[in-house]
Amino acid sequence: MKQRLEQLLESGRQSVMQAQSDAVLQEVRVQLLGRKGELTALMKGMGALSAEERPVIGALVNTVKDSLESLIAERSAVLREEEIARRIEGERIDVTLPGRRRQLGSLHPITQVTQDVSAIFASLGFGVAEGPEIEKDFYNFEALNMPKDHPARDMQDTFYISEDVVLRTHTSPVQIRTMLKHQPPVRVIAPGTVYRRDSDITHSPMFHQIEGFLVDHNVTFGDLKGILTAFVTRYFGAEIGVRFRPSFFPFTEPSAEVDMQCVICSGKGCRVCKDSGWLEILGSGMIDPEVFKSVGYDSDIYSGFAFGMGVERIAMLKYGVSDLRLFFGNDVRFLQQFA
Amino acid sequence: MVVTWNWLKEFVEFDLTPEELSHRLTMAGLEVDVMEKLGAGLDGVIVARLLDVTQHPDADRLTVCRVDTGAGEVQVVCGATNHRSGDLIALATVGTILPGDFKIKESKIRGQLSQGMLCSEKELGLADESAGIMILPTDLQVGQPVFKALGLTDVRFELGLTPNRADCLSVVGVAREVAAMVAGTLHVPHATLQETGANIQTETSVEILDADKCPRYAARLIRKVKIGPSPQWLVRRLEAVGLRSINNVVDVTNYVMMELGHPLHAFDFSLLRGGKIVVRCPGDSAFTTLDSQVRKLTTNDLAICDGEGPVALAGVMGGENSEIRPETTDVLLESAWFEPYAIRRTSKRLGIHTDSSHRFERGADINMVPVALDRAAALIALLADGVISKGMIDAYPRKIENRSLIISTKRTNAILGLALSTAEVSRLLSSIGLDVKHAADADQLVVGVPTFRPDLEREIDLIEEVARLNGYDLIPVTMPSGCSTGHPEPAGQGTVRRLRDLMVAEGFAEVVNYSFVHPDVSDRILLTADDERRIHTVVRNPLTEDQSVMRTLLLPSLLETAARNIAYRSNDLSLFELRPVFRPVHGTELPEETLHLAAVLCGRRAPLGWCQTEEPVDFYDLKGAVEQLLEVLHIEGASWSNATGEPYLHAGKSCTLMHRNRCLGVLGEVHPKVLANYDIAYPVFMFELNVASLIQEANAISGIQPISRFPDVYRDSAFLLDSSVSAATITETIAGVRSNLIESSVIFDVYSGKGIPEGKKSVAVRVRYRSTERTLTDEEISKVHDRLVRSMESRLKACLR
Ligand SMILES: [Zn+2]
Repeated sequence: MKQRLEQLLESGRQSVMQAQSDAVLQEVRVQLLGRKGELTALMKGMGALSAEERPVIGALVNTVKDSLESLIAERSAVLREEEIARRIEGERIDVTLPGRRRQLGSLHPITQVTQDVSAIFASLGFGVAEGPEIEKDFYNFEALNMPKDHPARDMQDTFYISEDVVLRTHTSPVQIRTMLKHQPPVRVIAPGTVYRRDSDITHSPMFHQIEGFLVDHNVTFGDLKGILTAFVTRYFGAEIGVRFRPSFFPFTEPSAEVDMQCVICSGKGCRVCKDSGWLEILGSGMIDPEVFKSVGYDSDIYSGFAFGMGVERIAMLKYGVSDLRLFFGNDVRFLQQFA
Repeated sequence: MVVTWNWLKEFVEFDLTPEELSHRLTMAGLEVDVMEKLGAGLDGVIVARLLDVTQHPDADRLTVCRVDTGAGEVQVVCGATNHRSGDLIALATVGTILPGDFKIKESKIRGQLSQGMLCSEKELGLADESAGIMILPTDLQVGQPVFKALGLTDVRFELGLTPNRADCLSVVGVAREVAAMVAGTLHVPHATLQETGANIQTETSVEILDADKCPRYAARLIRKVKIGPSPQWLVRRLEAVGLRSINNVVDVTNYVMMELGHPLHAFDFSLLRGGKIVVRCPGDSAFTTLDSQVRKLTTNDLAICDGEGPVALAGVMGGENSEIRPETTDVLLESAWFEPYAIRRTSKRLGIHTDSSHRFERGADINMVPVALDRAAALIALLADGVISKGMIDAYPRKIENRSLIISTKRTNAILGLALSTAEVSRLLSSIGLDVKHAADADQLVVGVPTFRPDLEREIDLIEEVARLNGYDLIPVTMPSGCSTGHPEPAGQGTVRRLRDLMVAEGFAEVVNYSFVHPDVSDRILLTADDERRIHTVVRNPLTEDQSVMRTLLLPSLLETAARNIAYRSNDLSLFELRPVFRPVHGTELPEETLHLAAVLCGRRAPLGWCQTEEPVDFYDLKGAVEQLLEVLHIEGASWSNATGEPYLHAGKSCTLMHRNRCLGVLGEVHPKVLANYDIAYPVFMFELNVASLIQEANAISGIQPISRFPDVYRDSAFLLDSSVSAATITETIAGVRSNLIESSVIFDVYSGKGIPEGKKSVAVRVRYRSTERTLTDEEISKVHDRLVRSMESRLKACLR
């Protein structure tokens, strides 16, 4: 009996291992362990055993049954694994075929620069102000210490709508409008579209500026350097050198041109920076007392600084755009690169 | 303004390299745009002697020259004709790189060895034009570099001056800055004159009738001059600073202008009618300037007149009627000072910008009048053999005094963020020639400002000078103390940002077009004659007609952009623009600026690909984008009505978007006639929305609905309807069932054609049911759905299919 049980276990193991599919395995299972199976048939012979043999063989029957059960379970798991592996192999696709795509949208680089620059200034406590693109002479010039006949008006060739209305030549009139509305402290930037009567490879009759200013007690030229250095290094990188040098704007005094180290040649000198290693990036200065006078701020109590930058110029340096006209050509092959 | 190294050295000693000087000038506010080393890299161009010149055996127009280089002999083939044996010439030896990146190599020219090149002045960058090669003076030493031998080694600095720095429009002015930089001394030239002629007072007179515009006018008379070419040193120096040599007298006036910054003018005295000068405004008259242009003068133009009429436009340009000619012998030399505004008005009105007007507009130095006059008279006497009359006429009816200002050290430090002592402030201001004295208050200084610095008018101007002279570099970098609570964002700025982001998410590329357009855009988009959008804000002085009126709609610019892209074969386009349009408002000075958001869509829905279908976009692609815009802005219950009245839209495929009686904009297919006007051959869909209205109607997110835990059940029903029944009425009818069990309904199929009777269509609707409180039973759902079907049948005469 014992021998026959061991034979059954051995032949059962072979049948199980030979089963190549779950269906065959189930047949094997019925054949071995089913109600009419081989083990049941064997157990029928147990009646002929002695009382001593019976528990021993009974235990052996259970062991053989458990062994076969677990063999079948293991085999079943293996077969299932194999089945999945086969199916996966059969479903193999060409992953190098391109995916299903939708048209990608993109923000114009001018918008992107404006948003990125605004975000940096927002983190430095600056709010955003706006003003009209068609502006009164008073806000665009007069209040900014540029009376009629002032030579500084030549610096900005102007489009006129009427004697006293112009397409604003800079975003500085927003400074005036804001200061007339709010008392210090003010920290504001004003991004916007501006116009100058100039058109060639390096000038567009319409372009964009971001103006900013800060007025409070005890604001110094050192603070101007601090804020603008923070801006340039955050936007272009901490390793970029910044320098301030004397310049002239009618609405600031002292005035400073802010240069950053050339991002193309790292300051070694190249065509873009005219071999100087430096690039003009911002105009700035302490707000002129005349401007304070025209908005009713007391320059004995308050001081402040203002700055302005050209959005296209910054975009050209940031993204390596070599031709200004690309910004207004709106060729999708250009625009899509900003997606 | 251009200055050169050698010229500066005449007035100030400094021990700097050209690079250092360039950097220091830039950091002092005199930005060096270009630094050019004359003769740099041209040491290989040497003085050489032509030993003999023979005809090239195989070329008529070439000669073969034997040349002594001082270190040996070379053979050079040359195409010029002006050289003779024995001449000293400029030889570019093998290896030299001439201007224009032209490298000299040993070569064979028509079989003859050529070991170098005989150079012309043009090839050496010494002249714009030259005939033949350069023949050098005979006293030069053979073998020396030519530039060194001729004393031409120099450095040009082109300065980009800011308009406030009139004082630096001269070599002496720049030298004054250099002296301040290196704590050196400025030497201003003082002329010594031999006045051997008659007393000038007996020969001529000056009368100023308009002392407001001309407070000072000085003159000298030089007789018996010989007009001729200027010596080489003068020609070269003028060329170095960008001026062309004309003749010895005119060249001297230009030279002194560059040197001292004071414009002068030389008249042919024999052509001055009445032999005298009268400074006045001649009123309306015509006058021919030196450049042969007839100029119309008006009441306020100041002129230099003789006994009869104008002979020069004061401070701007001389007259043809009194100019120096080859036969001139007697010269009346003018040195005057004019009010900047007067010169500016005339020069601007007439569109004449000269070196002279440039200086007078920005402010010349009134005390330079006699100095410059003497300097020029001495030079003319020297270079043109003139005899100077005794004395000068110096009419000075309105004296201009030095300005006196007070500067506070405390205030200076407060503005600059520095901690300078009063003594340091005093030292800095003195270094540029200001007359600084201590005041009673130890914090203050009294500063006398010489007339060469007309830009220093207020304390703040002096504070800027202190910052500049001390160096911007030395101002410590600090951060402003205190903080601002910030200003509220202008209304709608967040909405504008969301709109842009959504358009990008919808796959549109943002474009930026010029705000000004051609006035014919109204015709191109077929606006009717009485359409108020034809009324533009007009630019008075446009650059071109294409940019002459401010746009009232964004669509034309977008169509133009689309057409341009299509011309480059970018056919699938989804573009948007979010920018203001401009509408003149009667009775107000400024037009109304309203933000619009417009988009155009055309071509295929998806880019070509193996797994994508090549379907063209249609109206509903665009409408979907607008619907999602409204969703993002939480604008609910907007309506779409077929009538737009817009002549530029396809009447059958367009609509007006309304919300609570406010028109938000229009969308639809662009009218084929408009597309033809833009040369676009296939359908384009567009929308243009008023962003201001969107901002007004937009809502913030509020009242978020809880999410049901219970399962949904949906029922699909297809209805047969009259073709004319709109989707909107179906949606309204379903909404009219008013059951809170209906979660949503979607029209998922619209069909007409085979199997559907003429004039009918089949519309399939999926209605989704769900409760927030329990799992719905079939019975509950059927009750509501049956009600819905009955409502469809009774209200829309629908038949359930
Ligand atoms: Zn560079």
